[in-house]
Amino acid sequence: MPTLTVNGRKVTVGDDVYILEACRAAGVEVPTLCNFDGLEPWGGCRLCVVDMSLEKWDDDWFKLVTACNHPVEEGMTVVTDSERVLATRRVVLDLLLARCPDTPLIQRLAAELGVDETSYEKNPEHTDCILCGLCTRVCDHIGVSAIASTDRGWGREIAPPFNEPPPDCIGCLACAEVCPTDHIPFATSNVKRTIWGKDFEMLRDPKTGEAVITKAQAEHFAERSGVPMTYFETSDKSKRLEVAKTFEKLQVVK
Amino acid sequence: MRIESSDQFKAYHAEARTRDEGLTRKILVCCGTGCLATGAKEVAEAFVHEIEDRKLDVEVGLGVKSTGCHGFCERGPLVAFLPEGLLYTKVKAKKVPEIIEKTIIGRELIPGLLYKNPVNKERIAAYDEIPFYKNQVRVAMRNIGRIDPTDLMDAVAHDAYAGLAKALFEMTPDEVLDEVETSGQRGRGGAGFNTARKWRSCKSAPGDRRFVLCNGDEGDPGAFKDRSIMEGDPHSVLEGMIIGAYALGAHEGYIYVRDEYPLAVVNLQLAIIEARKVGLLGENIMGSGFDFDIQISRGGGAFVCGESSALMRSLAGMTGEPRAKYVHSTAKGLFDLPTVLNNVETWAGIGAIVHHGGAWFAAMGTDKSKGTKAFSLVGKVKNTGLIELPMGTTLRHIIYDIGGGVLKDRPFKAVQTGGPSGGCIPEELLDLPVDYEKLTEAGSMMGSGGMIVMDDRTCMVDVARYFIAFLTEESCGKCTPCREGLKQMLGLYDRLIEGRGTDGDIEKIEALAAGMQLGSLCELGKSAPNPVLSTLKYFRSEYEAHIKDHACPAGICREITAFEIMPDCDGCHACPKVCPTDAIAGTKKELHVIDHEACISCGACLDVCPTDSIRTFPKIELAAEEVV
Amino acid sequence: MKMIYKVSVERCIACGKCELACAFAHGSEGRPSKSRINIHRRGPELGTPVVCFQCDDAACVTVCPTHALVRNEETAAIDMVRSRCISCRMCVAGCPFGNMLWDEAYNCVQKCDLCGGEPRCVPFCPTGAIAWVPIEEAVLPPEPLDRESLEAVP
Repeated sequence: MPTLTVNGRKVTVGDDVYILEACRAAGVEVPTLCNFDGLEPWGGCRLCVVDMSLEKWDDDWFKLVTACNHPVEEGMTVVTDSERVLATRRVVLDLLLARCPDTPLIQRLAAELGVDETSYEKNPEHTDCILCGLCTRVCDHIGVSAIASTDRGWGREIAPPFNEPPPDCIGCLACAEVCPTDHIPFATSNVKRTIWGKDFEMLRDPKTGEAVITKAQAEHFAERSGVPMTYFETSDKSKRLEVAKTFEKLQVVK
Repeated sequence: MRIESSDQFKAYHAEARTRDEGLTRKILVCCGTGCLATGAKEVAEAFVHEIEDRKLDVEVGLGVKSTGCHGFCERGPLVAFLPEGLLYTKVKAKKVPEIIEKTIIGRELIPGLLYKNPVNKERIAAYDEIPFYKNQVRVAMRNIGRIDPTDLMDAVAHDAYAGLAKALFEMTPDEVLDEVETSGQRGRGGAGFNTARKWRSCKSAPGDRRFVLCNGDEGDPGAFKDRSIMEGDPHSVLEGMIIGAYALGAHEGYIYVRDEYPLAVVNLQLAIIEARKVGLLGENIMGSGFDFDIQISRGGGAFVCGESSALMRSLAGMTGEPRAKYVHSTAKGLFDLPTVLNNVETWAGIGAIVHHGGAWFAAMGTDKSKGTKAFSLVGKVKNTGLIELPMGTTLRHIIYDIGGGVLKDRPFKAVQTGGPSGGCIPEELLDLPVDYEKLTEAGSMMGSGGMIVMDDRTCMVDVARYFIAFLTEESCGKCTPCREGLKQMLGLYDRLIEGRGTDGDIEKIEALAAGMQLGSLCELGKSAPNPVLSTLKYFRSEYEAHIKDHACPAGICREITAFEIMPDCDGCHACPKVCPTDAIAGTKKELHVIDHEACISCGACLDVCPTDSIRTFPKIELAAEEVV
Repeated sequence: MKMIYKVSVERCIACGKCELACAFAHGSEGRPSKSRINIHRRGPELGTPVVCFQCDDAACVTVCPTHALVRNEETAAIDMVRSRCISCRMCVAGCPFGNMLWDEAYNCVQKCDLCGGEPRCVPFCPTGAIAWVPIEEAVLPPEPLDRESLEAVP
């Protein structure tokens, strides 16, 4: 249970905790883009940088690290608003604003740090993708790995293999839901779902025709979790009705 | 036959020496990649045929060896003769019969094949007197050029695996660690981290399974020392890794070789197969009870895979991207297990360190940088090639005494060290002793040992742009500051070299550089600004000229440079022959003239003019002239 | 003292106050779709409350890929950690009792978490058809409801 100081405030956290969580426990907000609670930290966007000094170092010797994946140590000192932290965050957002000048999330985050216009050359092609990697990471986490980052450097892009409808995709929409800039389009209804150019048959309630997930999703998760397929095959409304009816049969009626 | 005891190794060594000494005369043909490109294979084959035809092998005890890189790549194909200690340069296959007749049989020299010292124009016959070789102290490259890299016995005859035998039979793993610590060796891949310290932190990590890796990804443009070691003495790398594995208690090793080094892959694989056959690698090495085996993993063509955590990901079959380093790879590396990764040259030195003792190594070099270092000396220098010198040798000594000075005796401008992570060092610092600390203090770094010499026909803005362009292609793209920053930096530089720079561009570059240094995830992005910052530090006036005057003082940047032939032109007519756009008109013995419309400012004419009568000037003055 | 949520079906008069209370407890608009308790109306003043059973071996927990559904040791409820939810709706499909709900308007999943130990619906039930009782009382059979003497619900 290490104790550390964040912006002058002492806070004690659990073992195996990253600086980001410690900051939040101390009531200090640190901006993030590529971080998501349910996934392993990635450290790619570099927005969450903070200045940190270990106990054994000189008091004025600090290192700039990403808060999301740096483990906390006893006696650590963290500063989240030093000049160079803010300057680095500004450069990150300035660069992202050049890449995605029309993306509301980036415009807002940049403005919060005083960057209203980018100092760099704007991307001539429109994109909302900030290459935070959340979509590919969540897809890997689910055990599907239908999409990945392709190419490297400036040409890096999130895409399915060979830019064709991904054979492994199960249409769970996790990538689209987790994307902070809503870059991934999809269409869904009770009948059909489409994402990454692939169409999916929905798993519809036989009576009401309602659906929340695709057949492929049900199969994948049934196998992965051991929960029987039958659980997924009717809608929540139908199931609640079943429950009610069951209890009604069981109760003692006056 | 398998070696299964210390005595059997000694016997094998003795047998190897006897066989080597049985060759009373040897012809060593350099077959490193550089010389192969200029016909060394044909030279070696010609020697073999000639000797067989004349039965000289039987009668005279003469042997031909195709060896690894001799280092003097500028003068290849190289052929050395032992025991005479003679060196012939630029040897062609058709000269071989004459060499056999005159030099081997007649014991006469052929002056035209001797090295000519560019300083005093004298011809030097003896290998050991040629300044390029005389001043070298070869440790990591000790056997390269003396042995056939595909012949294990030849390597053993030259003390390969002697260090390993000593380690396995006379030392405990901790004693080996102590010896490496005494040597003070620091990693030769660029970062210069203390080898023993790295090994110790891996050894203390919990777990039974650990790995020993060799980084053969050598990606710096202009660096080829690792290539020469892997091609020319692969057993030195294997031996070092086995010793390291013994010290650490590791049983599995990988050599990650960049795919663009096919000869290195082949020679390493042959060495592994041979070593396994004889019991120097694999199970129960030399009968000591220690197991360790090595596999080769080939890269896919990415500079970023030279970064240690990216390399480990690539080895494991994942995309080559670095990960955060807060958890060290000595604790969690390959497959999240304790791993030691060292550079080729680092491993190559270990065998010698254990064999001769850490104190022997530490006696060379400077206070904080012990031992010797391999350098690839390239660029506008007369003697281009591969050298190994004690740390602390000055830049001046390297460039002028060993390198023979600047090509065509043009004025020296700067020497770039450390590849894309390094910086440029100007003339006033030429007496800097080369070691890790001093180079970093000067705003550059040791890096892997590449040294690019630059003359006055080099634009420092263009040099910085070159490295930024290289890194823009090689960035993995994971983190924002590097991926986006490099692209924007390249855009800014393109503006400068094309004469579209504006006030404030230098400040923009500096601010972006600071952001990249602080914000990037790995050293590729963090050190990318180094060439930028060092050229700004020492050559800021060139940047300012590009912006304020739309001029390139060195006359290199084509968009803003025009060429003119001066009145002292003697009409030798050399330049029209090299002009790619036929922009030069003139009759022999008369002043020639450049047509500015057709001229593409490539500078070929200036390079070839024997009277130095061509000058460059800012293209913007042409427009001014027209107005007038 | 360990508490448990006890549902006595025959005491339910289908007034719907629990649904309103729950809806208001989770957002000020009081949208019915935000209610985590659902009353199945089977006749006049006859209802069956259906609410999350906080299953011991919950299908929703098993199927969630990001561990966004976690047992709260104090309340014994299965809590939803919103910051981990990836909106894949597998829990909605997986709950065999239909007690995991999808809120279209907010594009998120919701479930009963017993309001952290003080279920907001309980005080509003006029007949005690839903109750927050010590665990020993859960096994006691429900008191029959004297429907004749019911007064108009305030």
